[in-house]
Amino acid sequence: MTRYRKQDPEITRRRFINAAMGTTATVGIVSLVGVLGTANPVFRLTRDKMPPVEGDVLVHASASKEGEVIKVSELSEQLIRAWPMGKDKEGNNLIRKGDPNNVLALYRFPKGQIVAPTNLDATVDGEIVAYSDICTHAGCSVSDDDQQEGQMKCPCHSGQYDPKRGCVVVGGPPPRPLAQLPIKQDGDKLVVAGFFLENPYPFTESEWEARKEAVKAQLA
Amino acid sequence: MNQWLDERLHISRLNDKFLRKAFPVHHSFFLGEITLFSLIILIITGIVLALSYEPSNSLVVNSFDPGTADKPNMLPAAYHSVLKLNAMPFGDMLRRVHHWMANIMVAAAVIHMMRIYFTGAFKKPREINWWIGMLLLIFAALTAVTGYILPYDNYSYNTVKVVYGIAASIPWIGTWLAQAAFAGNFPGDGIIPRIYGYHIMLLPGILLALTGAHMLIMIKQKHTQPQYAKRIAYKKIVGVPLLTQQTPIMLMLTLLFAGIVLLFAAFIPVHPSEFFGPPSTTPINNIKPDWYLLWIFGALAIIPSFEFNIFGGIIGSEFTGAILLPTVVLGAMFAVPMLDRSKDNNYYAENPTNHPVRLAIGTAFMALLIVMSVAGYKPDLISANVLTTANANTVLWILIFVVPAVTYFATIGIVRGIRALREADERDSLAHSAAADD
Ligand code: FES
Repeated sequence: MTRYRKQDPEITRRRFINAAMGTTATVGIVSLVGVLGTANPVFRLTRDKMPPVEGDVLVHASASKEGEVIKVSELSEQLIRAWPMGKDKEGNNLIRKGDPNNVLALYRFPKGQIVAPTNLDATVDGEIVAYSDICTHAGCSVSDDDQQEGQMKCPCHSGQYDPKRGCVVVGGPPPRPLAQLPIKQDGDKLVVAGFFLENPYPFTESEWEARKEAVKAQLA
Repeated sequence: MNQWLDERLHISRLNDKFLRKAFPVHHSFFLGEITLFSLIILIITGIVLALSYEPSNSLVVNSFDPGTADKPNMLPAAYHSVLKLNAMPFGDMLRRVHHWMANIMVAAAVIHMMRIYFTGAFKKPREINWWIGMLLLIFAALTAVTGYILPYDNYSYNTVKVVYGIAASIPWIGTWLAQAAFAGNFPGDGIIPRIYGYHIMLLPGILLALTGAHMLIMIKQKHTQPQYAKRIAYKKIVGVPLLTQQTPIMLMLTLLFAGIVLLFAAFIPVHPSEFFGPPSTTPINNIKPDWYLLWIFGALAIIPSFEFNIFGGIIGSEFTGAILLPTVVLGAMFAVPMLDRSKDNNYYAENPTNHPVRLAIGTAFMALLIVMSVAGYKPDLISANVLTTANANTVLWILIFVVPAVTYFATIGIVRGIRALREADERDSLAHSAAADD
């Protein structure tokens, strides 16, 4: 009894179709990934997108007074939003609002109220303190808490911060305190004294280190 | 003319196959139709809106209030075009109709899904359509979200910021993903053109394709039959044909319903762009998403803050609340046809009270989503002194567990009661009919 099983030298139709479909799918996916790559434009660090750098002057960020230099005498326990203002290549004033995450929160509390973990050396006389105003949770701008004097509340998911204690999180989902910005007084003006002490939103620690290096390299 | 068309297009075959499709007669079967009509009206109003909208966030001079030559009043082009749209005759009205229609579409879709769930209509052979329906729901929500970013006023701006933050919170790939999706670091120069592309091309395309598949499968599989069909003609399709009986009902329903939405739009303003103003650094107090996303928002409001680092990826409260949790919830909904199956094809809509556990799980699930949505009002509850900052999270967390549990057992109890009554009724009528026979 011989049972002849046809040995087809050529590939079967089904095999051919499967292989063809497999190839098409692979090519398709690869090219799709390629297209997606171009969907993500390159980031160019321009001066208006730089985080606050040493020597920047703080100016008002609210729409009505935008660009006016903030006077020390204006500050109070009410939050004042500020932009850092630096110089462009020609030496003209340039507000660094190309990155909206650069917006800052300024407070002035009576002496002795600002305590650790706030970095007191980075404040003006332990009275005036500056933070990134961008919530570390999802990047909303943080406001004064309308319930509790001298506290901050994020309107987006009710994150709460304590600006007298280094902006630690006292409620809600934010993972980290707001980053503190070292400042010093120059006459009646406020001037940035260095980079944020911690990584501000949206940077991770390593990204923040890299960004600082990039800024230093570009300004040098 | 009929004949002329028929010779070319074989209308009579189409007629036999599709136009005579039987529609069950029951009001709950209109919910899917309402969803479909809303989609159609959304597309029409959307096209008209798109004619006047300028998809760009580059700054232009505000034509209503140009400022001075050396200090011009600049606005994002998209926002500016919305102001112009509002100033057009019926322009604001058009936006409102579009907005309310979107809300009603999601609402109708959700109630439609509830009908499917509670009557077991997702069972074999209709599992695929349940899944397609889930995808429709998800893509409808995404379309809506991209839609309320487009006016690019301060509200939209804050919304898209949060959406960007959520996308970026995915461990490992988040930053890349958010940048690819939103055209670079927030808010890139191309963010509005990108979102516009999503909102008017990509997502509606997906919605239409899915809707087409949903309906074709429905036509192929036929509607589930309501219970009365079993009594009238067992294993036969009972209903009225699309042409000419169902069509006038549908038309009437559409008109009635479009009328209601127009009334809504005439009296209830939506998203007042002028009020919110152009994007700025001033946050908006008590910003909230639309009602169907409120539960995710609520979860974010009460989740405590934390952050883990796993292999260089950061898992934080934001990712957990806004991505992980909805994935679990939607996953559970996707799994419904796998958890509650039938061996044979299911032809008849089941009476919910005959399936108390399914009913109770469904109501408990809804209760959970409602409590989570209430949690979204946490700041308002605190300002109204219902809760305090200190106890809000604890109270809301307790409610999240207690309310669904209570709902579950209450439903089971009520169903038991209903069945006991029904059985008593049957015994009664049996006894009486027995007596009458004597
Ligand atoms: S963005 Fe501030 S709490 Fe979510």
